[in-house]
Amino acid sequence: MARTSKSSRKSVQSKAEEICQYMLSTLEKGQRPILEAVRCNLDNSIYDPSVGYFVPGDKVVKSELNVSSVQKLARTVFMLEILLNNINTGATNTKRELYYMAKGLVKSDPSLKPIDFDGQPESDSVIEFITDMLEVYREELNCFADDRGGQSYSQNLIVTETMNDGEKATIDLSKLGTAPFQPKNQPTALKLKAKGKIDFCLIVESQGTANTLVTRGFTKRNNCILMGAKGVPSNGVRGWCKLIQDQLKIPMYFFGDLDAYTMQNIFRTLKAGSAASLIRNKDFSAPDVKFLGILPEDIKEYDLNSYKVKEKDASEVRALKKARDVLSNDPFFKDKKNKKLAAILNFLVKNKIRCEQQALFSVNPKDPLMPEKIILDKIKNKVFI
Amino acid sequence: MANKITSSSTAEYFAKNLQQVGFSSPTKAVLTTLKEAVDNSLDACEDNMILPELSIQIERLGKGGSKNSDLIQIIIEDNGPGLSAENLPRVFGEYLASSKFGRGRCSRGQQGIGISAATTWAQLTHASGVRVKSKTASMKKAVEMYIDVDIKGNKGLVKKKETLEWDKKTGLQVEFKFDGRIQLNGDGGLLTYLEGTTLVNPHLTLKYKMPDKEWVEVERVSTEVPVVPPSVLPHPHTMKLGEFVTHAGLFGRTSLKIFLKTGFSRITDHSLKLLVKNGMKKAWLNKAMTQFDDKELKQIFAFLIDADLSSPSTKSVLTVGEDSLAKSIQRLGEVDFFSVVTRKPKICDFKPTVVEVALARFIDRGEEDKSVQLLRFANRVPLQFDKSSCAITRAIESVNWKSYGLKQSKNSIPQGPYIFAVSVTSPFIKFKNASKETIDASEELVDEIRLALQKAGQKLSRHIKKEAKAEDLERKIRHIEKFGPILVNGLVSMTKASQARKKRAEDGLSKILGIDTEVAIAELEVAEEKLKSLKVKQAEKLGES
Repeated sequence: MARTSKSSRKSVQSKAEEICQYMLSTLEKGQRPILEAVRCNLDNSIYDPSVGYFVPGDKVVKSELNVSSVQKLARTVFMLEILLNNINTGATNTKRELYYMAKGLVKSDPSLKPIDFDGQPESDSVIEFITDMLEVYREELNCFADDRGGQSYSQNLIVTETMNDGEKATIDLSKLGTAPFQPKNQPTALKLKAKGKIDFCLIVESQGTANTLVTRGFTKRNNCILMGAKGVPSNGVRGWCKLIQDQLKIPMYFFGDLDAYTMQNIFRTLKAGSAASLIRNKDFSAPDVKFLGILPEDIKEYDLNSYKVKEKDASEVRALKKARDVLSNDPFFKDKKNKKLAAILNFLVKNKIRCEQQALFSVNPKDPLMPEKIILDKIKNKVFI
Repeated sequence: MANKITSSSTAEYFAKNLQQVGFSSPTKAVLTTLKEAVDNSLDACEDNMILPELSIQIERLGKGGSKNSDLIQIIIEDNGPGLSAENLPRVFGEYLASSKFGRGRCSRGQQGIGISAATTWAQLTHASGVRVKSKTASMKKAVEMYIDVDIKGNKGLVKKKETLEWDKKTGLQVEFKFDGRIQLNGDGGLLTYLEGTTLVNPHLTLKYKMPDKEWVEVERVSTEVPVVPPSVLPHPHTMKLGEFVTHAGLFGRTSLKIFLKTGFSRITDHSLKLLVKNGMKKAWLNKAMTQFDDKELKQIFAFLIDADLSSPSTKSVLTVGEDSLAKSIQRLGEVDFFSVVTRKPKICDFKPTVVEVALARFIDRGEEDKSVQLLRFANRVPLQFDKSSCAITRAIESVNWKSYGLKQSKNSIPQGPYIFAVSVTSPFIKFKNASKETIDASEELVDEIRLALQKAGQKLSRHIKKEAKAEDLERKIRHIEKFGPILVNGLVSMTKASQARKKRAEDGLSKILGIDTEVAIAELEVAEEKLKSLKVKQAEKLGES
């Protein structure tokens, strides 16, 4: 049975070769090789309050070679060869590129036709199986997602990037004018340094709102890092936040809508990772991030415009239904460490209202600095969770 | 002050409410007229032990009088006993003039509304009622009449009458001309109706001609006229209080004891003792029925309802039978395979009921991805409208057909080139409306139908499973040939293994996957064996040895 141990520090290449050797020699004996991968779903997610993110449980997905699985295993070995070749040559690719590369190889070799992929989801699932089986990050297989979200602004941050050829580049964020810094999906290659003291990092759910705050001079007046998450945080955003948390050790706040979707899909993923990326959460979650708002009490305190969730809006109703589900099943919200966050979800389920982050802009339309004042006020008075 | 209150005749009521009895659209008008005439013919033949031979001719004569309709002519001729000249105007022109009303038998017609409604429709849309030609065994010549409904007086009006030669021993021919539209196929189609009628009447020989089509002849596959069992006395538990009081009124000075014992089924001396034990006054048993007041009758009724009586007899129900159904289904097309089930009579909602099911896959009709064709029957009459609320549809939807190898979305009708025919027979079928299109879906009845369907499904699945197993084996062999070499080549290339290792791994792989194939072959053989024994049984049913 092939399973690489979690603690092993072997290179991806040797792990992969170990598995192939195991499969081949088992076949030589006329026996069925069995491949195992971590089961990446909520069922197998354990929230560890001591580290603050989801860690994998004991459950595994087993693929034993038989008539039904022979196609999947042939595809796995085929894709593994492409990925190892990338690692050996230092090439990187996105999942989509890998899909087209696989298609190209199949077209050029008629004997491979049976394993042709019918669409990208098919090749994606093979790549995911490989990462779960080797217990490595996709990025360690030189497979990167498009850079999405995480655009950051600061007058105090300097990033040093080690590129694939070993050369280093230094980026002083204060020298970028109005352009943001776009973090890469390869957080391990980045080194951060503060220029003077950085007081906090603010992660805003909407990239647009982050941009507006910058335009109104937020980063000029405050020694901070301001970042737009752009919805559900990508691996890039999650890795970038983890980096800021670990290397700069500054307070981090998340500011977004008061609604079930933001709480359970965006904030929870940023703070504790996700079930789908169980083996990566260690490096792709920032457990120290606080929920600055919008909090239920902010509505009254700052007289924010809130409104009832429309019963006809299918996505809102779905989010609320999921919230109920999450409250009883999600180990993160069930843990007493997060009971105040769970209380917000309970509040939303009960009152069926929502309040958007942009509500801050209409508190006093004549004062363009009002949103900034409220945010700073909340940080100062420690009104966050 | 209130307006003057008037009363109207039954005919007036139905003339204004023809939609309630199946004349709600031009398309339904054609189907209902055909259905009523055929029902009457088949009932008459059965009552007189005649093997029915029906000829049906439908033509489009031109444009109809009302908007979006054609002038339709329907001529239906049977070899039944015929009707006497006196009875013709009553049967065709008078509402509720029936020999079958409430008699508790499994006949198709029950109330005596249908055919008079057809006459009314023809009269309203084409200004002339029905033409009937009839000859009974005692008549030398046939009599022909043109009959209208006297709507004010609810009686048949003979417009014209003559006698003529007819080279038939006995029989009846009716002709209607009216506004309608012709729909041949689909749920409400005329051909669907005729197919259904053919299926559940194996003893019927049918000749028919549709507009612009050739004559089609379907021969009978059984020479046995179904004997409609005689009606039985009512069971107290099937009655309502009002019915009980009326029933009691018919017995005059008879004592309660005699009334209960002779007026009902399932009441014995033992049951009478039980009534007394439960608190009914013993003296009442010998009291004359006329001496009871309403309050006392109510009390007696309550004692009866509470009493633990045997279930009603199931003798009054009639079945088509598995053998006849098996033969009859072959008349609908080229059958790939089929299964039939006739349940034993059962009491559903205190009424004796029989459910029969025939499921068949056809080579030359239906499609893989469309719902199966559903044929519903109540007392051997096809039901063609308002499918969704019918007990039969509900039962079909509640079965998990996937476990029998059929395609099915959750809680819906399964898919494939199949015909699902389900027949419910009972002397008292509870319909949802007067046009008798939907059987009321009581829980007990739906359960009973579901049991029949499940049994038929199990039989059917033997065919489907054999096919699935054969497909499985083919897929497995294909898989091994396709993916095996790619897997081994990939592993050899990744590990830079020798040719000797490659050869060993290839042999090992064939061995492993070979075992899988052997299992599949064994499963296929078992499935084939099971199917073979089922086919032998079915061949016996069809009379082939």
